[in-house]
Amino acid sequence: MRALCKTSWRSILRNARRTTITVSSISFALAISVFFVSFTDGGAATTTNFAVRMQAGHITLQHPAYQDAPAIDLVVPGADALRRRLQVTRGVETTKLLVLGQGVARSSSETAGVAVLGVEPSVEAKTSLLARKIVAGSYLEDGSEGTAVIGRVLAERLKLEVGRKLVLSSNSATGELVEELLRIRGIFATGADDVDGYLVQVPLGFAQRFYGLRPDQVTQIGIVVRDSRQRDGIRAEAARMVAGSPIAVLPWEKVIPDLAAHLRVDGSTNLVLMGILLFLSLFTVFNTIQMSVLERTREFAMLLALGTPPWRLRLQVVLEGAMLALLGCVVGLLLGGLAGYWLQVHGVDVSKFGKGQSISGVPIDRVFGRVSADRLVSFGTFVFVATIAASAHCVRRISKIVVAEVLR
Amino acid sequence: MTAIVKLERVCKDYGQGDVVVHAVRDVSLEIQQGTFAAVAGPSGSGKTTMLNIISGLDRLTSGRVFVDGQEISSRSDSWLSRIRRERIGFVFQAFNLLPVLTAFENAEYVLMLQGVAVAERRRRVMAMLERVGLASLADRFPRELSGGQQQRVAVARAMVPEPALILADEPTANLDSQTGASLLDLMLELNREKGTTFLFSSHDPSVLGRARRLIRLADGRVVADESPDLPPRA
Repeated sequence: MRALCKTSWRSILRNARRTTITVSSISFALAISVFFVSFTDGGAATTTNFAVRMQAGHITLQHPAYQDAPAIDLVVPGADALRRRLQVTRGVETTKLLVLGQGVARSSSETAGVAVLGVEPSVEAKTSLLARKIVAGSYLEDGSEGTAVIGRVLAERLKLEVGRKLVLSSNSATGELVEELLRIRGIFATGADDVDGYLVQVPLGFAQRFYGLRPDQVTQIGIVVRDSRQRDGIRAEAARMVAGSPIAVLPWEKVIPDLAAHLRVDGSTNLVLMGILLFLSLFTVFNTIQMSVLERTREFAMLLALGTPPWRLRLQVVLEGAMLALLGCVVGLLLGGLAGYWLQVHGVDVSKFGKGQSISGVPIDRVFGRVSADRLVSFGTFVFVATIAASAHCVRRISKIVVAEVLR
Repeated sequence: MTAIVKLERVCKDYGQGDVVVHAVRDVSLEIQQGTFAAVAGPSGSGKTTMLNIISGLDRLTSGRVFVDGQEISSRSDSWLSRIRRERIGFVFQAFNLLPVLTAFENAEYVLMLQGVAVAERRRRVMAMLERVGLASLADRFPRELSGGQQQRVAVARAMVPEPALILADEPTANLDSQTGASLLDLMLELNREKGTTFLFSSHDPSVLGRARRLIRLADGRVVADESPDLPPRA
């Protein structure tokens, strides 16, 4: 076997230029694939992170009927006590109590339909990136009742500034028409028009009173986890806590299905594109191995004449392909991994590519890459196995060598 | 004396239908152990075909072939491959050596296929390279050797497994006359020292003159078989 490996290794070095081109082809395609997948994986992670932190967490507890028909009277009872238990569950970073309702915001000149989100300002300030997107005034604080933060697009539409007032109208949980006056404390700009033109954030207590809910009633409890890989375990624990009660425990994919679908399609599309790229590069490998077998027909015939078993020659060619693949994979994964790591550390400012970048209403301005070991392993394995398959196909020619004719 | 090679009414035809070439026609002969024999004839006389049939690289159309006492006519490819590996050595006209292996590695190639231990291989290969005058060039690659030196390595490779028979198809065709003569001398010396049977083909009279037995072919038939060990043909 050692002699075979030695022969195979020297054979691929025989035509150094061709070997270099082949290895470069593999490594270039692999590096690009790893880099772009790290970009999309990172983008997905960034988007998911932003969305779940701005909305109802990685795991959401809500009324079972709430997802299909959100209504202010579909509440989670005993929210405080439940929240305290969830907060101490291992792997939970924080929990959020939320009241989400619809309403109409009215200024002196304009009217607009809005989503009203009641939050705990101190929790939200640590959790949600929206709190860092204040462009005028300041974010909510605990106890700042009667104030709200609105998006820049909404502010422009209603012609409102910090310090000005708006009237918020809606129907309470009991169906009564309610109205309240709110002072604009701050204006945020996430860059996503869906958010900036529609969302009004108010303190939780205000939202509960406005919609006629008790202090321990919320529409959603959000759980933000430290490590997304622990999510399923935490979700199962939460489900056990609420077993038997009218509370659904949902992953974020169920709560924000549009985003989940978009990320799924986006991810699949990218994988398909990268697969095509890798497949095309494998044609170079196939061609190289095919050519090298054709060029050595007489040499192989001579070896067969000496009594070399055909399987040995086939194995030699397959080993040559494996060595090319290994070299290409090592270089490609290294380059792609380093580039992906750079992206992971520094990120890319996608806001340069146009104002208001968002995915399913989730604003994104900077995308950080995400290099994962399983992606590297799966891409490397795919290329390696595909190259072996290409080599195995080429070695069929060896079986067709008619020694006497070739040596004549 | 034992017959290393025996052909009984061997025929080999190529093609089919209206276009048939009779490469070998009804050839019967025996080659004794230790013979230094040449097969001569013009191009197309059947020299290479006859050597290919004897080595099992080509299948005959009719007749029987015996090598080292075993009939090879109806054997499988894998069996024939084994026989070539164990009992027959080859020296080709060109492209004899693997370019990615050194002279030593080329010479030990068949021993390696036979599964001979490393130390034993080294001992036998170095001894043979010494014998052919190339021990100092053992680590050279074929591209670093002259044509004559490459052929000597090929002879060493053929000899090292101690085969019953060495077949050489035009071994000096690509060499100048002096180098070719030197190679033939080497083969003759090895034949005398080791008793290995040599059967080579050539159309060069100076090469053929060194053979102790000369088998002449024309149009696939044996037209002359001259040897001091054989009675003259009737």
